[in-house]
Amino acid sequence: MKISSTYKKVAVLAASALAALAFTSAPTAAHAAPACDGKVPVTSCIGATSDGAPYSMMVPANFNGTVYLYSHGYRYNVDIPSAIPLIGGYKITNTPQPGPNATIIGYLLSKGYAVMGSGFARQGWNGDSGVATDVELINTFKTQFTKTTHVIAWGESLGGFITQGLAEKLGTQLSAAAPLCMASSTVEAELKMAGDFLWGVKTFFDPSIKAGNYSAGAAGYAEAMTDLGKVFTVMGKLQAGIGKELVTGAPSWPDTTPAAVKSMLGTIPSRSALLLIGLMAGLPAQSAHFDGTTGPGSPNSSSYTGFALLGSPALAILENGTNAAALAILATLDVEQQAGGATFDNTKTDYAAQVASEASTYSAALSGSTATNGMLAYLAAAPRATANPAAVTKMRSLLQWTGKISVPEVTMVGVSDPITPAGDSTYLANQYAAQYAAQIKANIKNHLPRGSSNLISIYGLTPTHYTTFDATGSPVTSTPAANGTNHCNFTTAQYKTVADLLAYASTNGKHLSGGPLLTAVRKMGGSTVDLKFQAALPKYYSQD
Amino acid sequence: MFVQRRTKGGIFAAAVVAAAALVASALPAHAETGVTSSTIKLGVTIPLTGAAAPGYNKIPAAMNAYFSYVNANGGVNGRQIKLVVKDDAYSPAQTLSVTNDLILKDKVFALVGTLGTANNEATTRLVNSQGVPRLFVNTGFSGFADMKKYPTTFPLFPSYATEAKVMGKYLADNFAGHKVALIYQDDDFGMDALKGFGTAGTNFVAKIPYAALSQADPSVVGKWITSIVAAGADTVVMFGVTSATGALAGGLYKANLIGKVQLILGSVGSDGTTLKGLLGPLAPALAGSIAASFLPSPADATDEYITQFKAINAQYNAGATFDNNVLVGMNTAMLTVQALRAAGTSPTRASLIKAIETKGSTWASAAFSPILYSPTSHVGYTGYWFGKLGLDGNAVSVDGPGKYTLYTTDSGSAPVVKACNSSSNASEGIA
Repeated sequence: MKISSTYKKVAVLAASALAALAFTSAPTAAHAAPACDGKVPVTSCIGATSDGAPYSMMVPANFNGTVYLYSHGYRYNVDIPSAIPLIGGYKITNTPQPGPNATIIGYLLSKGYAVMGSGFARQGWNGDSGVATDVELINTFKTQFTKTTHVIAWGESLGGFITQGLAEKLGTQLSAAAPLCMASSTVEAELKMAGDFLWGVKTFFDPSIKAGNYSAGAAGYAEAMTDLGKVFTVMGKLQAGIGKELVTGAPSWPDTTPAAVKSMLGTIPSRSALLLIGLMAGLPAQSAHFDGTTGPGSPNSSSYTGFALLGSPALAILENGTNAAALAILATLDVEQQAGGATFDNTKTDYAAQVASEASTYSAALSGSTATNGMLAYLAAAPRATANPAAVTKMRSLLQWTGKISVPEVTMVGVSDPITPAGDSTYLANQYAAQYAAQIKANIKNHLPRGSSNLISIYGLTPTHYTTFDATGSPVTSTPAANGTNHCNFTTAQYKTVADLLAYASTNGKHLSGGPLLTAVRKMGGSTVDLKFQAALPKYYSQD
Repeated sequence: MFVQRRTKGGIFAAAVVAAAALVASALPAHAETGVTSSTIKLGVTIPLTGAAAPGYNKIPAAMNAYFSYVNANGGVNGRQIKLVVKDDAYSPAQTLSVTNDLILKDKVFALVGTLGTANNEATTRLVNSQGVPRLFVNTGFSGFADMKKYPTTFPLFPSYATEAKVMGKYLADNFAGHKVALIYQDDDFGMDALKGFGTAGTNFVAKIPYAALSQADPSVVGKWITSIVAAGADTVVMFGVTSATGALAGGLYKANLIGKVQLILGSVGSDGTTLKGLLGPLAPALAGSIAASFLPSPADATDEYITQFKAINAQYNAGATFDNNVLVGMNTAMLTVQALRAAGTSPTRASLIKAIETKGSTWASAAFSPILYSPTSHVGYTGYWFGKLGLDGNAVSVDGPGKYTLYTTDSGSAPVVKACNSSSNASEGIA
């Protein structure tokens, strides 16, 4: 079976989700107070915080006193040479971003809400400075617009991490918050998935990939850019190889595969090896275009079942893993520079344990238990990455969130988000559950009402079938990513619903609940707000 | 010690009707998910399409036929049973997706008869977090009896480890001196069997693993035949699904080995009707193959359950061909009805689980071995009998029609116990 097209469009889509959208021009110098244009019906203000973060504020003439503070996601903190495939040509930017997109900003402004957001002073992993910038921005806004009564914080990806950190720092100074598709509680947790996957790619498919422990300064930058090129190249080779394997049944590994791997594992399809490292890292086995359920032709044909069961999971890992590997390289370079040395360490990682439950579920795609055990045995004996203890200590001193919730919060994430797994939001819910239980106990003891939960967890679900095929039976990868997949892949209706839930909570001091909540979530589509829903925790938290 | 115990089906059927009549008029409003004052909603995932569908796709209709029979007689405590059927095409990802629908959208009370080891593994996190009872799963993976890992899951089939131990005993008793090869599906299904054969001390001249679904690749089947011939095997144990049995038969035919190699088939890969559909004119070549079963032969006219199920099948299942899959579906449904009844007039998920744990071992069942449910055990059946496939594809007991020698044991190190025949509790313990 031929695998059509290129993954370029897919990877670019995800990369763009990581990068910023430009809305307004950045100011050229820092200001103590914002410069406002005084226009109606919307006044736009720009300025810079004391650390140099440019910001943007937009205030409607009918401002109702509530402002939404948006924190944008991870932006690379290095330029990417244009020669690099897929993401080449990226330039560092700190353009301010006051909302998820222009449509949502317009929606909020039309309802009398103000919006604001910065571009942060520093790109890359910037949790500490990001929270500081947001705190200053809130104060600046309140000073400028004294009618302000409520501040709602929201953000996506790393911006979700910053939002949670901000909510834990400010407590009831905020009136509501929404960490969307939030990053893990620590940078160490966030980078484990990507690091495990990149190490697997290096070990199985191209040992010349450095995969971290980059040199200081320009040399390290060059090493990382070289790694990017190598990873994208080997992913392309895997894509071609998997296509051949699905046609012929014969294994087809990249030519950069170590001889020892070919010798020990060469009879196993490369798709199984790729799937294994994706699963052990915790990557979703459903991606933007591969559902694991659909094949070409008649549903009763063996080719349909064969593609769905054997090919689709590996292709999903390929699609998801390309983004994870890019993040692993660029974020690792960033964090290593901040920490002063190598931070990824898998010397004690038990990959067999990490993949235990998934190995059963995907046994057929992994080519059976014997093949799986062989691959895991190779990984167990392969050289591991060792971190610099001092760098790890410094990395662990960076901002982390604990799950403390003081005001109504909404989380939303797709169940197959490949960058910030849905399990991060589940981890937050689990952390809050203990706090909420204690609150109920205390209230009962004090003869007070039990009190309602301050957390609504929304999960975007994938459709049962969404892989499509062209007339030749090749999968189509040019269609929009399916609901529940890709990174921070939300519809306008979903954003609006979250914004509305936040507005309700901000006004009423508690969440919408019961039937009205269920109706709101049902209307936005593709999601569940079931209280008991649990996504798989990232491997950092649980070797499930 | 394991003994045989069967409850009379006719008595049970009468009890269903009587109990329904008593409570139908005074049902309270009910708040449990999937339960209303007039209905109980259940869900099942199963391959209705795809390469694994043949045979298994008959099970939901059989379940529905039995539920229709019960509904026509007043339902369960006055409530009608509604079964929501979802096709998973045997893909774990699809199982998870449609189970999401069953639990989060359809709001089923419980899952019943969900099929496949990997498929049930895929939904375990969801099932556990929601506390959804998962009754009588259609797989023999012994791991599902782990109450800590699967607290709401109730296996019914004897485990594959049990089957392998029993088969090992049968081989020792009847094929001593033979050169036996083993072909097995290389996942938890086959690993369970390997564990059982290891406990039984069975020696194979060749162990031939294959990845699930790879039996569709002719080169894989070719390697099986090459290995069989190279090992000089005169007997082959097949521990795989029915389509793998069909592929093996085709391979043996091409190699002119039909009749020269004795086949011994695991329970999930030996349904005669399905094999006839897969093999067409080649199907009679499997006559004489030995197959393990835990339910009576569908062709056994002397069995009271078969008789009753056939009558229900004729009335409520459009007269579908009565085979092992229909039998499994009806037996699963019959146990489900008893479980729902025992859960009380205001059933909850917790009361359903408690009912199975405390009363399930006493319920009517078509199988010959007892069910071992208890507050400390989620183990279902524990025994098999052996039959020979006839030209019509149905297995007839090696002891003659209507006579069953039952072998029982556990998934661990307990001895295999051989009961002399179905009409007696006499048994002999065999270490």
